[in-house]
Amino acid sequence: MSKEELLMKMGKAIIEGNKDEAEALAKEAVEKKIDLNEVIEKGYVPGIQKVGDLWEKGEYFLPELITGAECMKTAMDVLKPELEKAQITTKSQGKVVIGTVEGDIHDIGKNLVASMLSANGFEVFDLGADVKLESFIEKAEEEQVDLICLSALLTTTMLGQRKVIELLREKNMSGQFKILVGGAPVNQKWAKDIGADGYAENAMVAVKVAKSSLKNK
Amino acid sequence: MTTAIEKVKNFKIEIDEEKILRLIGYKKKSPKVNDSTKNLIAEEKKKLDYLLHPVSIHTILSYEETNKHPIFKNAEKIALCICTIGPELEEKIKELMNNNEMLRALILDAFGSEAVEEVAIQSDKLLAEKARKMNSWPSKRFSPGYGKWDIKEQQFVFQALPSQDIGVRLTESYMMIPQKSISFRINFYKNKKLSTRKIE
Repeated sequence: MSKEELLMKMGKAIIEGNKDEAEALAKEAVEKKIDLNEVIEKGYVPGIQKVGDLWEKGEYFLPELITGAECMKTAMDVLKPELEKAQITTKSQGKVVIGTVEGDIHDIGKNLVASMLSANGFEVFDLGADVKLESFIEKAEEEQVDLICLSALLTTTMLGQRKVIELLREKNMSGQFKILVGGAPVNQKWAKDIGADGYAENAMVAVKVAKSSLKNK
Repeated sequence: MTTAIEKVKNFKIEIDEEKILRLIGYKKKSPKVNDSTKNLIAEEKKKLDYLLHPVSIHTILSYEETNKHPIFKNAEKIALCICTIGPELEEKIKELMNNNEMLRALILDAFGSEAVEEVAIQSDKLLAEKARKMNSWPSKRFSPGYGKWDIKEQQFVFQALPSQDIGVRLTESYMMIPQKSISFRINFYKNKKLSTRKIE
């Protein structure tokens, strides 16, 4: 199989949600010593972009997006150790710290956002659920991230999103990180009221909002 | 007077796969659902036999036995109920997420939401029937956090019922664990006009 053919098949595997194929092609690329940046940028990334486009057009739905992200992760799990071995740096859309705020253990929505961001080229630091509010800021500082994504599924815990923004203000760190909020009780108005930079109603919108908020950074 | 507490276990849970499709993001008029998603739904559905452990616990209090929240005003009796499907399904979801099986996790989560709702529907029906046997008229069911019944009232529900008997606990932020749990109240009225519920 030629390199071009291999790259084309990689994109197709993501679009079709074929995890086994995505993994096998990544292994083949490693064996054939193909430039891994090219594998990612010209092989897999166009695939996940196409998945996003099909979602925008209403042809794909959340399950296809998730499957696309699963395929990306499967491929990246093969490529990452090789990238590290060869000390190759890949193009990143930005660094993100994400978690569900203190007092809230819901994590499936947050995990979907994390995997979608990751599949779309963000470097994601997932702190999990029931995360102490200070920990978001500590991790954001430590990793010099661009974005903090705060998930809350309860009316009682969504207040934690506001608290993180207040904590940043108290520490004179406002504006240092973009803040995105999400979760069932959260809406655009709440995001605006608490001074968040963006609100995402679902995982794919989160990717779009994350990209656009960093454009303005 | 000691208030009777009743535990119910004999729930029969049937879930329509169409509802799962809606919950995982397909719209009613979605042009097509791919076969692999349909297969995943069918496969996850099979796991429900061993992952669902539906159970509920309820009690019926007189107004005097409640915390006299304004929401209970005019009710002769107040039924309180906690329903759950147990922790097993949630543990499986975690396992799937850790194994990069996000879609399977989402499907199972949707099944869990539907299943616990079904337990609540059947418990609600049972309590409404009890109300009628007591010559009372039941209200619709309401959960803490909705309308004028603040989420903090979860504490009252959990004080009135030994939730540990069905394996449900409340966190400081009034969240129930297992997450697939529902708590609710039904007011029993003597005056039919006070009940907003349609009785068959």
